[in-house]
Amino acid sequence: MDGALKTVRQLARMPGLATELEPYREMLLANVVMVGEIPAPTFGEEERIRFIKQRFTECGLQSCSSDEVGNGMGILPGARGDKTILVSAHADTPFAAGENHTFTIEPGIIRGPGVADNSMGLAVLATLPTVLEGLGIKLQSDLLLLAPTRSLEQGDQQGIRFFLSNSTIPITTGIVVEGCPLGRLHYRSMASLGGMISCIVDRKVCHLSAIEVLNSLISQLGQIDLCPQTNTDLVLGSVRGGATYKLPARTAHLRFQLRSDADDKVNAINRQILSMLDDAAKQKGISAYLEVIARTRSGGLEASHPLVNTARKIMRTLGVQPKASIYSSTISPYLEQDIPAVCLGVSNGDNLNYADEYIEIEPMLTGLAQVIGLLLCIDGGDCA
Amino acid sequence: MHNINIWLESNTFHHSQFWDLLRLIRKKEELGLTISLCIPTLNEEKTIGKEVVLFKSELQDRYPLLDEIVVIDSGSTDRTLEVASAFGADVYSSADILPEQGFKRGKGENLWKAIYQLKGDIIVYVDADISNIHPRFVYGLVAPLIYRPEVQYVKSFYDRPLALSKEIRASGGGRVTEILVRPLFSLFFPELTAIIQPLSGEYAVRRKILEEIPFPIGYGVETSHLIDVYTQYGLEAFAQTDLDRRVHRHQEIRDLGKMAFGILQTFIKRLNANGMVVDLPQLTMNLRQFQVRESQYEQIIHEIVEEERPPMQQIAAYQEKFSHL
Repeated sequence: MDGALKTVRQLARMPGLATELEPYREMLLANVVMVGEIPAPTFGEEERIRFIKQRFTECGLQSCSSDEVGNGMGILPGARGDKTILVSAHADTPFAAGENHTFTIEPGIIRGPGVADNSMGLAVLATLPTVLEGLGIKLQSDLLLLAPTRSLEQGDQQGIRFFLSNSTIPITTGIVVEGCPLGRLHYRSMASLGGMISCIVDRKVCHLSAIEVLNSLISQLGQIDLCPQTNTDLVLGSVRGGATYKLPARTAHLRFQLRSDADDKVNAINRQILSMLDDAAKQKGISAYLEVIARTRSGGLEASHPLVNTARKIMRTLGVQPKASIYSSTISPYLEQDIPAVCLGVSNGDNLNYADEYIEIEPMLTGLAQVIGLLLCIDGGDCA
Repeated sequence: MHNINIWLESNTFHHSQFWDLLRLIRKKEELGLTISLCIPTLNEEKTIGKEVVLFKSELQDRYPLLDEIVVIDSGSTDRTLEVASAFGADVYSSADILPEQGFKRGKGENLWKAIYQLKGDIIVYVDADISNIHPRFVYGLVAPLIYRPEVQYVKSFYDRPLALSKEIRASGGGRVTEILVRPLFSLFFPELTAIIQPLSGEYAVRRKILEEIPFPIGYGVETSHLIDVYTQYGLEAFAQTDLDRRVHRHQEIRDLGKMAFGILQTFIKRLNANGMVVDLPQLTMNLRQFQVRESQYEQIIHEIVEEERPPMQQIAAYQEKFSHL
């Protein structure tokens, strides 16, 4: 049977799939809670990864293990095993280990820090093997489930980058699972540079406040030609500086993200910023420098790529409207290795990265159904 | 107190000792045991959903340790019953169980009626107000009953109280435990001081024990259980399991006063019954607390009567329902 025909058959199964998944609702919810209540700040994901690997082991996956950067993984062998599909969901959250990680299940929603980003994604990984077995789905391809560490902020997606650079298993296709929103279909990455500008004033030789220095730099950043043709944008994310209202600040920091369709444009603006910092640092008693937090490359799949087309068809068959945005930094590590990949969301949620973050319960089975549907279609060979 | 040290060594566990749930289930099946979970509730809509979801998914669907999950409610006015039922628990109103016995409001009433309503050889009671609920709250308590046939009653304790850390409570008990129950046990039942958190709301008990002890319907139920089982079977019938951390609502000191009053009544009743005190005068059931309103002291009188339900095996309907045992 050719791939296209298989895909048509898989799509025909889609409308009823969310209903078939109903018996697994509590299991998915329980996994969201159990994984989410284990703190996992970036660079401190060990305990959460241990739980994920335990779940993989319980499901009978093979090669349940961690690598040098702490990524957790397990393999569900396929009938033929000549291809490997990677499904990943990042394990870390922006919440410190000491914060209250208690989740609550209320009628219609689950609430808790990191529930959408990305406990729900991890719960899909932990539940998927049981669901596939329960539905009698035996893939031809090997299914590699991966919970990468060190994804957020300073982590700069080190976990997934390390895995894709060093894995001896050739990955055919990647599905990145994020908790929300349902309808997310990301398949391209913008060029981006996340950075922190630090200004430090030696008060013995300079009376300026570091905040004044930073303010001057922010004004200069506002003068940069962002080139609308390349959709270049500069986001000033956060500022921090000084210790008290009574004294000039000795330090000030700006965190920003520069993003663009064009790698060249990001590189050119990066050089401009470095030049500004050099000029600022020529003043006596002032130092100013840039620390790169995260980088991504521009690129990814075309809108007409079979993987994107199939994902779009599956979503529509399930009554999910794909969102307009197509860009996510999560795609960058895959395109750096020339691996076709898409990023999907499982349910709807809000208040991301705040303690009252929540996700809706009702849509999550549809979200899980789309992941299974796409797996089946990739396995059928019509997404290459 | 040599016995205390031996008992602490042999009958105090940590839940992590029972992580191998497959082994636990195999042993349970080998013994032919059935296990019921009872969650007593009163207006717990915020926490009951998560509790039912976790226990059903982890301890019924994934590891079939529990044969039933039952919520017994004292008359909630919020959505407790609706939420619990939606996530798959069997839900009963306490008033509808053994209606010929009438209905009394109190947690102990729910626990007592659970003995009639639930079918398990072992009943594990878990409060509904635990924010950080986890399967260990159940398997940590039932495992000693499965692995050790001589153990009849397993209490929970929390926060690794024996650890020598400034961040951890020195003795592990709550306020009422440390200023009332432990001093009383030290005076009258010294061996029971080995039970680190005598008032903890989570415990697992064999049916044959539950059916033969009376149940105070209010605050005294945990204390009465310990004394009644101890006087009949000794410390060896107990075990206790460290369940790590328990996050729950903080109670106001006035409410703890009411709790202490109820416990004291239960305690004195048992001292009397065991001949440990004599010639007590008629005691009042009124707890007097005071508050200041615009520089005036006001007396507040709470009538707290620790009524008790008789041993369930004395109830005719129970004898009929469980005549096969």
